[in-house]
Amino acid sequence: MPSIVELTQSLVTGVGIGLIYGLIAIGFSVIYNASGIVNFAQGVFVMLGGMFAHSILTRYGLPIWLSAIIATILVAAVGVLVQIFVINPRWRRNAPLFAIILATLAVQLLIEQIVILTLGDQPRTYPEFTSGGPLKLGPIAIPYQLFWVLGVGAILVFALTQFFNRTPMGRALRACAQNREAAALLGIPVERMLIVAFALSAGLGAIAGILITPTQYTAYLIGTPFGINGFIAAIIGGFGSPVAGLVGGIFLGITQSEAIVFFGAGFRNIISLSLLLIVLMFFPKGLFGGFAKKA
Amino acid sequence: MTSPNITSPKPAAPAAKFASRFDRFQVVLLGLSALAVCFALIYGGYLLTVMQMAMIYAIFCVGLNFFMGYTGQASFGQNSFACIGGYGSAILCVQYGWEPALALIGAMVVAGFFALIIGYPTLRLRGHYLAMATFSLGLITYDISIQWTSVTQGYMGYAGIPSLGIGNWTVESERGKLVVLAVLLAFAFWLSLRMRDSRFGRGLRAISGSENGAAALGVRVPRFKLIAFVVAALYASAAGSLYAYTFNFISPEAFGPAMSILTFTMLFVGGVGTIVGPIIGAVVTSLLQEVVRGSGHYQDIAYAVGLLATLIYAPKGLSALGGLFRRKKEEA
Repeated sequence: MPSIVELTQSLVTGVGIGLIYGLIAIGFSVIYNASGIVNFAQGVFVMLGGMFAHSILTRYGLPIWLSAIIATILVAAVGVLVQIFVINPRWRRNAPLFAIILATLAVQLLIEQIVILTLGDQPRTYPEFTSGGPLKLGPIAIPYQLFWVLGVGAILVFALTQFFNRTPMGRALRACAQNREAAALLGIPVERMLIVAFALSAGLGAIAGILITPTQYTAYLIGTPFGINGFIAAIIGGFGSPVAGLVGGIFLGITQSEAIVFFGAGFRNIISLSLLLIVLMFFPKGLFGGFAKKA
Repeated sequence: MTSPNITSPKPAAPAAKFASRFDRFQVVLLGLSALAVCFALIYGGYLLTVMQMAMIYAIFCVGLNFFMGYTGQASFGQNSFACIGGYGSAILCVQYGWEPALALIGAMVVAGFFALIIGYPTLRLRGHYLAMATFSLGLITYDISIQWTSVTQGYMGYAGIPSLGIGNWTVESERGKLVVLAVLLAFAFWLSLRMRDSRFGRGLRAISGSENGAAALGVRVPRFKLIAFVVAALYASAAGSLYAYTFNFISPEAFGPAMSILTFTMLFVGGVGTIVGPIIGAVVTSLLQEVVRGSGHYQDIAYAVGLLATLIYAPKGLSALGGLFRRKKEEA
C-alpha cells in the first residue's frame, strides 16, 4: 500500500496534468459544439504551442510572456488554415463523418511531418515561468509551474464563460451549437463561426502546450497522447461547458497519476481508456450531464 | 446536417446476377490488382513482401467493409482482433504445438467470442462515440500486448512462428505464400459476396440507409450490427493469423493503432461500401506507400496530402470513379 505522502504527491501531479487535459478538452468541445465535428488533430495544437514558443524564445530571445502570446496567435492561425483548407471543403460537400475523422488524422500526420522537417525531431523544453521552487509543504513538493497552470486555467475558464454568455460572437457560437439551420436563418454566418471555433480551439490547445512544456518536454510526437487524453477528459466532463471540461480533465489526471502509483506507469493508459469506456457506456452525456447532443 | 447516417447510403443494387453487380470499371481495377500479384510472382524480391502485405490487409478490409461500408458504423478498433488472431495463433502453435491451420481457426473463435462480448455493450453507441470507444479498445489491446510480457513477450515480439500449412504440407517459399494468400483472399472475397446478398447483407445495407427505416421493415438492428461486428472481427483475426504465418514474427507494433488508421485509409481509398473497394484500396495503398518511400522525408507528407485530396475529390474512393465517367457519358 503506498504511503499517504506518495498518494498526496501524485494527487498534486494529477491535478497539474489534469488541468492541461481540461484545457484540451475545452478545445474539443468548442469545435464539437459549433460544428458537430470532433477534431482528432487537437493534440497537434498542443505540440505546436510548445514548439513555437520554444523556437521564438531561443531564436529571437524574446521574453517568455511575449513568446507565449505570439505562439498562441500563430497556432490559432494554423487552426484557421486547417479549417479553411481541410475541414471546409468537406463540410460544404456534406462529407460523411468517417471522412472528416480521417481527414483530421491526416492533418495530424501532415503537421507532424512538417514540424520534423522545419524544427527537427529533437525533444526540447524551456525553464519554468517562475524560477525557484518547488514549494515545500512538509514532505510534499508543489512546483511553481502548477500555480501558473491553475491561474491561467481559472482565468481562461472565466473568460470563456463570459465570452459564451455575454459577447455577441460567443452567443452566435452557442446558437450554431444548438441549431445550425436556425442560426443561419437568423443571419449568423455559420462558416465564419466555424473558423472562429477552430481559432479558439487551436489557441486553447497552444496555451495548454506552452504551460506543460516546462514540466515535461515537447517533441513532434506528443500530439497523439495529449489529443487522446483531452478527448477522454471531454467525454468524462461532457461537451457542455468549459467548467465541465476542466473538471473532467482534473478527474482524469488524478485517476491517471493514482493509477501509476498503484499499478505502475505501464498501465496508465489502460486505466484511463477503461475509464473512457465505462463513462461512454453508462454516462454517455458525461459525468456532469451537459447538453451533449445526440451524436 | 450532422449526417446521422454515417456513410452516404449506397443506392441498393438491383442485385440478381453475378456480373451485373460489378461495373466494368471495377472489373478492370480488380484485374489490375490480379496483374500486380502476377507481376510480383514473376519478378519476386521485395515486391513479393509488399503484395503479401497487401493481400493480408485486403482480407482485413473485406471484413471491415461489412461493418463500416455496408452497415455504416465506425470501428477504429479492429486491430485488437487482428492482435488476438496474431498472438492467438502464435501462442497456440509455438507453445501448444497446434497445427497452424487449426490455430488460425482457434484464434478466430476466440476473437469472435471477444467481439461478441465487447460489441454487445459498445454497439449501442453511435457516431463519434462509437468511433472513440472502438479506438480506445484498439489502444487498450495494444498496451496490453506490450505490458503482458509473460504471454506476448512485449516489445521483443514473438519469433519462431511456423508457416502456414496442413499436416506435412507447409508453404515455406515467399512465392508460395503469396499464392496461398491470394487464394485465401479470393475465398474471403467470395464469402463476403455471398453474405452481402443474403438476407443478412441486405439488412445491413438497410441499416446504413436508415436505422429507423430498417427497424420498421423488421430488421433487428442491434443484432444485425453485432453480427456484422463479429464478422469483421473474424476477418481481422484471420488476417492477424496470416500475418503471423507469413512473416513468422509478430510484435505489438504490427497490430498497433497505426494498423487501424492504415486499413481505414485503404478502405476509403478503395471505396467504402463498394464490393471491390477493400481489395483495390489495400493493393493501391500498399504500392503507393512503397512509391512515396523513395522520397525520404517527404514520404508521409505526400501520403497525407494524397489522402486529403482523395477525401475531397473522390469521397467514394477509386472504385466509384467509374461512376463519374459513366454519368458523363449518359449526359452527353
